[in-house]
Amino acid sequence: MKKILALAQKDLKLLFRDKGGAFFVFVFPLLIAIFFGTVFSGGGGGSGTIPLVIVDEDSTAQSIQFADKIKSFEGSDVLQTDREEAVSFVQKGKRVAYIVLTEGFGQSRENLFWGDPTRIEIGVDPSRRAETAMLKGVLMANFMEGMMGDFTDPEKMRVKLQDDLGSIRESDNQEELQEWEKFLVKLDTAMAQLETNVNDSAAESDTSGAGTSWQPVEFEVSEVTISRDGPKNAFEITFPQALIWAMIGCAASFGISLVTERTHGTLIRLRIAPLNLSQILAGKGTACFTAIMLVAVILITIAILFFGVKPNSMLFLALAIASSAACFVGIMMLLSVIGKTEASAGGIGWAALLVMSMTGGGMIPLFFLPSWLKTVGHASPVKWAILTMEGAIWRGFTPAMMFWHCALLLSIGIVSFIVGARIFKMTVE
Amino acid sequence: MLLLNSIRKSYGEINAVDGVSFEVKPGEVFGLLGPNGAGKTTTVSIAVGIITPDSGRVGIDGDHSPLDRTTREQIGVAPQALALYEELSGNENLIFYAKLQGLSGGKLTERVGWALDFVKLTERRKDRVNTYSGGMKRRLNLAAALVHDPPLLLLDEPTVGVDPQSRNAIFENILELKKEGRSILYTTHYMEEAQRLCDRVGIIDRGKMLALDTVDGLIDQYGGKDAVIAETEDGENRIETDNPIEELEKAQKKGGLLRFRVERPNLETVFLNLTGKQLRD
Repeated sequence: MKKILALAQKDLKLLFRDKGGAFFVFVFPLLIAIFFGTVFSGGGGGSGTIPLVIVDEDSTAQSIQFADKIKSFEGSDVLQTDREEAVSFVQKGKRVAYIVLTEGFGQSRENLFWGDPTRIEIGVDPSRRAETAMLKGVLMANFMEGMMGDFTDPEKMRVKLQDDLGSIRESDNQEELQEWEKFLVKLDTAMAQLETNVNDSAAESDTSGAGTSWQPVEFEVSEVTISRDGPKNAFEITFPQALIWAMIGCAASFGISLVTERTHGTLIRLRIAPLNLSQILAGKGTACFTAIMLVAVILITIAILFFGVKPNSMLFLALAIASSAACFVGIMMLLSVIGKTEASAGGIGWAALLVMSMTGGGMIPLFFLPSWLKTVGHASPVKWAILTMEGAIWRGFTPAMMFWHCALLLSIGIVSFIVGARIFKMTVE
Repeated sequence: MLLLNSIRKSYGEINAVDGVSFEVKPGEVFGLLGPNGAGKTTTVSIAVGIITPDSGRVGIDGDHSPLDRTTREQIGVAPQALALYEELSGNENLIFYAKLQGLSGGKLTERVGWALDFVKLTERRKDRVNTYSGGMKRRLNLAAALVHDPPLLLLDEPTVGVDPQSRNAIFENILELKKEGRSILYTTHYMEEAQRLCDRVGIIDRGKMLALDTVDGLIDQYGGKDAVIAETEDGENRIETDNPIEELEKAQKKGGLLRFRVERPNLETVFLNLTGKQLRD
């Protein structure tokens, strides 16, 4: 075992000292994950829209007008539907937030200065809290814009004030009523002056001394529990893809390194040492497996800490990564016997891996692929590796599903390794 | 220490090794002299067990097979192709090979230090091998064969492509190893090296062992006579003789002798006489 570890340690050292190889194993996958994750999240330049869903439970002219304003607001991508579907959209991560204009929205908008403030319900994906503040700002801006329209039409405003005054005078709370009446009378006077000369910007109206607080709109924010039958964000799709790229990089690098051992003569000294060929191959496999697990730990840590990736089960994820790593170690062994020189092994190896990646969803997420390509993808280990890792992160695999997927990956790895090792032994002997 | 008996190995119709037999005795430096493609490297590969012969037998330290792990620990090999990791330092290369031989702890540190010191690479031990000269790489290749202190060494063309200074350093190393009592199989196509270092020499060509004896024995048997080359006003005369002094006296009596030299037969002439061609053809 010590000799196998010595072989693996040597190969890992060589990998870290090869800047090109280390880049493709450690840096490139991370760049892929961040770049495509950002693009799929809508943050990669483009329109930069926030996908929202709006529910109008009031269906008054006021609520319809407000919903239309939100839908036409630049920077938002708004879908209108009922409450149940809106909640479902956010739960499944298809929309960042839902907005509900509850019953009474239109009435409260009419009673601008009296009664309860206008209530708007917001349901958000907790991982997108940063966007909630922005959303509130957008809603407030639209609400105030509507109010400004009222204020710039003094006749309409006076009708509102008279209505509110009538409501106030019918109320029981005398002390509060006096304060509000005092405020609204002054406001009404100001509006009367404004009506005679709307352009008289110097019209003085002391409304600040009303002595009561005024809140025209109230946001009721609730966090939506994200349903785990869909990815919570784009990074939950791009990080498994990044892991696949890391595995591809490792398989290619170590496959070529075995050819290098042969062409540079170091294999002779390994074979002369008190080792058998199986130990030499086990050393190479251990190095490849260790490198994959190392880069997986780094990528998953970054994904969890900085990109909101929350695996359903860390245990399942560890099993999925280990099985996928074993699968790619086997593929590495097969690749190492394809070419006789580093150039041919590298060329054929990368070509084979790229085809596997293309058809298996390593480049473009599986759900974007046409159906015929999805069928072809069944033959690609990349597809099964991605599915298994996604199963642990967001697909909600049961233990049985995880077992069968891991077993399939391990089988591919073991068969590939045995076939590759046999061809290798035949070649060198 | 190493015995090869009637070894045969062919690749298709080509007989790479054709009935070769020889023995490397304890403490002896045995030279395998032959041109490129003579079958020297194949013979070494068979001796260490990485090529299986079609027929014949290899025995190490008695009748042990080179495939036995414990037997392999007794062998150090410096392959003709430099078997080194260019991206690792000299020190890291030796530590790696020592670990493969089962060394660890203080013994490993001591042996790696000794091997680096032996080939005079201690100062460059931390530098990556890809910064070494050709001669330094050859010396490190030798150190990798020695790091586990094996009693039997197989050195396959250990001076190919090195500068004269490194070649001399390697010669000194080999003579010192000989002094320590190690058994060495030394392959080369340089007859000067075989003549200088080897106790006995086997001459091999096209897979066949043509002759095997001490250097003097080979010269006596196959080298022919001494030659006196006398230059007179009429030109240069080459006279093969058992008594060069007598021939010189005769030439002087004739008169007109301008210059002369005596050529003694060497392994080159032995090879020429055995094969009809130069060693480096």
